[in-house]
Amino acid sequence: MARFIREWGTAAWAIRGVALLLCAIHAVAGQPALAAEPKFPQLAGRVVDEAALLPAPVRERITGWLAEFERASKRQLVVVTVKDLQGYPIEDFGYRLGRAWGIGEKDKNTGAILLVAPKEREVRIEVGYGLEGELTDAISRAIIEKDILPAFKDGNYEQGIINGTAAILKALGWDGATPGATINAPESAQESAQELPPIPVLILIILFVIFRFGRNAVFGGRHGRGVWGARSRGGFSGGGGSFGGGGASGRW
Amino acid sequence: MIRTFSPRARQIFLILFFAMGLVACDINAVPRYDEETRAAWSEVLNQYQRRADLVPNLVETVAGFARQEKETLTAVVEARSKATQMQLPPDILNNPEAFRQFQQSQAALGGALARLLVVVEKYPDLKSNQNFLSLQSQLEGTENRITVARRDYILTVQKYNTELRTIPGRWVAGVLYPDAEVKQTFDIAEQAKEAPKVKF
Repeated sequence: MARFIREWGTAAWAIRGVALLLCAIHAVAGQPALAAEPKFPQLAGRVVDEAALLPAPVRERITGWLAEFERASKRQLVVVTVKDLQGYPIEDFGYRLGRAWGIGEKDKNTGAILLVAPKEREVRIEVGYGLEGELTDAISRAIIEKDILPAFKDGNYEQGIINGTAAILKALGWDGATPGATINAPESAQESAQELPPIPVLILIILFVIFRFGRNAVFGGRHGRGVWGARSRGGFSGGGGSFGGGGASGRW
Repeated sequence: MIRTFSPRARQIFLILFFAMGLVACDINAVPRYDEETRAAWSEVLNQYQRRADLVPNLVETVAGFARQEKETLTAVVEARSKATQMQLPPDILNNPEAFRQFQQSQAALGGALARLLVVVEKYPDLKSNQNFLSLQSQLEGTENRITVARRDYILTVQKYNTELRTIPGRWVAGVLYPDAEVKQTFDIAEQAKEAPKVKF
């Protein structure tokens, strides 16, 4: 009997150990990928010209507008041309791209994307939740039909994108679509080698992080942004805004 | 190897290890995912409502130009009233029958609207009417939002159901949340029931 108890005790410990291990594996492995995502280009700037439709001066001019616009309103507009849509409908590609990049202010979702897919001959204005009231579906469509498609039909992508961007900015209440002053956004993340705080403080911090932000923050959730903010080194990055399928598309 | 770490470092590792175990058996996951599915479901209802709200205006505008398409217009109006009048039981997310009915009524409205938009192609005056163009783009946008909302709902339910059915979430739920039930999700593609036929 005593032996049985002793063995059972050992077994119980083993079970607990295994359970803990399972938990740890579960946590590190995280949730399985839930849905296939298209492969997005890198968010290298406010104008991502993967399809190479824009000469450098035009790209810089538009980038200047977009930077000014963000400085004035905190909102983000990004112009993207893609090589192809990888078989996704442009509506599908658009909102996923917006979410993947997190364009717009976090929680306010004030982002928009002008997406051009020359191979599929499709264009889309993707509007974040927070801008749907101003850049409505009807207005997005009017911009596509009046400002973008006529030039695209003539094969003049440059003009179509310039006009479209200016019209979107105007619809969002920003009239300054003229080449603005040069922008420089110095952003240096100083990494200071600090002394570690004492143990009890560490425990408190760890517990706080766990209960405040949950597992995703600690082990890296599906949407990546943990406790340590969204800013990347120096360049441009999305603010963490989300998209729900607002906007309009056009074909030429 | 261990000996090369200072006792301080070992303490930190130990704390981290226990913290990981604690987080891993996330006791709040079930209610948190439950809230996520509810939020996603509200968004689905919200977008369906938005579509239903567009219908009267759309029907009126189309009727002004294409009164002879009475049959198609009536079908849209009827599908709308069926979809909006359906009483949603509070447990709809756990109730397969009610959920299926909801899906079907919405799919019927989607199908009727799609047929209406096909019929409209025959009326160039209508197609160039500003009011109609605006309504059409709103309808397209709303259909698109519905697709997104449905997909988001499916993903949150998948996460929730997975948590409920796999270990360790299953154990946690068994002890702490015995009422938690696996939720229903969409299986009929919107409008796929009856594709619009084009007649020339």
